Amino acid sequence: MDGSSAPVRPAQLAVPGGERPSARAPSSAPAEALLRFRGVAKIFPARKGQAAVTALSDIDLEVPRGAVVGVIGRSGAGKSTLIRLANGLERASAGSVEIAGRDVTALTERGWRDARRSIGMIFQHFNLLSSRSVFDNVALPLEVAGLGRAAIERRVAPLLDLVGLTDKRDRYPVELSGGQKQRVGIARALATEPELLLCDEATSALDPETTASILALLRRVNRELGVTILLITHEIPVIKEVCDRVAVIDQGRIVEQGATFEVFTRPAQATTARFVEAVTRAELSPQLAARLAASGGAGARLVLRIGFSGSAGTAPLVVRLAERFGSAFEVSGGRIDTVGGRPFGSLIALVPADGDLGDLVEEFDLTLEVLGHVA
Amino acid sequence: MSPEMISLILEATLETLAMVAVAAGIGTLLGLPLGVFLATSRRGELFAAPATNGVLGLIVNATRSTPFIILVVAIIPFTRLVAGTSIGTTAAIVPLTVASTPFIARIVEGAIREVDHGLVEAARAMGASPLQIVAKVLVPEARPGIVLGLTLAVVSLLGYSAMVGAVGGGGLGDLGIRYGYQRFMPEVMAAVVLVLIVLVQAVQSGGERLARRLNKRVRQD
Repeated sequence: MDGSSAPVRPAQLAVPGGERPSARAPSSAPAEALLRFRGVAKIFPARKGQAAVTALSDIDLEVPRGAVVGVIGRSGAGKSTLIRLANGLERASAGSVEIAGRDVTALTERGWRDARRSIGMIFQHFNLLSSRSVFDNVALPLEVAGLGRAAIERRVAPLLDLVGLTDKRDRYPVELSGGQKQRVGIARALATEPELLLCDEATSALDPETTASILALLRRVNRELGVTILLITHEIPVIKEVCDRVAVIDQGRIVEQGATFEVFTRPAQATTARFVEAVTRAELSPQLAARLAASGGAGARLVLRIGFSGSAGTAPLVVRLAERFGSAFEVSGGRIDTVGGRPFGSLIALVPADGDLGDLVEEFDLTLEVLGHVA
Repeated sequence: MSPEMISLILEATLETLAMVAVAAGIGTLLGLPLGVFLATSRRGELFAAPATNGVLGLIVNATRSTPFIILVVAIIPFTRLVAGTSIGTTAAIVPLTVASTPFIARIVEGAIREVDHGLVEAARAMGASPLQIVAKVLVPEARPGIVLGLTLAVVSLLGYSAMVGAVGGGGLGDLGIRYGYQRFMPEVMAAVVLVLIVLVQAVQSGGERLARRLNKRVRQD
């Protein structure tokens, strides 16, 4: 124990890993929900010249203690509002929000202030204070909680160690890379030793390699510190990488939720498949788009978007197309992601205008969209 | 120039410095909280009080749109109430303060509005109270902008202080008018202008250097 008298729970970080309560509840036993939304709706009231906006409706979502739950949706689907309901930055218009079995829906702002000290949050754009060094950024929530300088020092040092930034403690955010900034954000969010960590598009501003390292860190935070995580994202890899459970949100409603693997591999759920396909939708390159014509002359080729949603492998399809059309077949772009070994996403492909793909569409369960012709 | 003249200029310089320093000091003490409030009291903000915000904004605008020389005369009763007299250097500090407070308030307001709203959200998410957000996030993050704005305010005050000669305020401007203009002593006028130029230069470069030191948004190697 660090002997601080501040209203913060005993330091988990000071305890060696083995003594911590097991972070991950076995998936067979029904784990207690740390966070629960019941029939939650959020309506932004009408303002001058603008109609009321229903951001969320009928949200039922559970975040079991010790789990990592992801909410995936396109921008504007209501993800940001949803995650802000979990720490009272937004208030539900209907339904209830429970944290550790306690109904917090009607909490006052003052009540939320205390509650928020056991909920950490990290952000897409990190939201670090430019006027504070790395150390002082991590120290901020502890200052807010009223800890003394010595207690803060004892708490911040191991956190910087955890996120691998001990040598940057006196640097300012402007001197850090995006990944380092998010590490500071994570250390800051963990400073008050929260049970729950909210991640608001935490990796969306990062390159894939950095994203992977941040996700690995979040995994560690979950496993070693027993912190429950709710994250929102529009990136499938994030969900695949870290989430035990996933909820798919579209137009303010959760269209499906469950164990990550099941949700993405169960083809019966057309909405989810379409959704997943939409997030991995390949777009035309500007160069190709500029050459596109509504109809082509002799020798013109057709530009197609070939969509996969959990259908059979792409490799055999590409081989078959190449065999059939030879050098007239060309792939100009694509975004394919595999979930449970099945491809989700689409290819932008060029094929001869008179080419027939009917049999392949059936065999590989594809969707075809004609984008135009090129000479 | 005679030694008497030089000591007059020296005395006037000290008067100017005293008036500007006291007015800027009190103006900052009053303008800082006023500016913070103006920046955080609109609908849906930390200290939401849209009506009060509107009224204060109106008062600030009214004060700022009144030409300084008219303000000096218009508030003479108020000056007498505060300073006990309406003439002299001490009395002149009152209109200078009244003019600088809303100016500084707007500068502070502008600098605080520039602070990324995400930082306020982050602070709220860690359970910070509105006052903690002001003290630990808004003001520190706005500090470089506030310092630059205060520099501007001090430079403006140096100019305004030249006008308080109208109420017997003393200082460099008064000296320049009475000796340089009314007594046909161009060398006094030139000396006064020279001293003012040096003062403005010193304030401006000092303020900029301080703002640069406080600004951690750019790398300083």
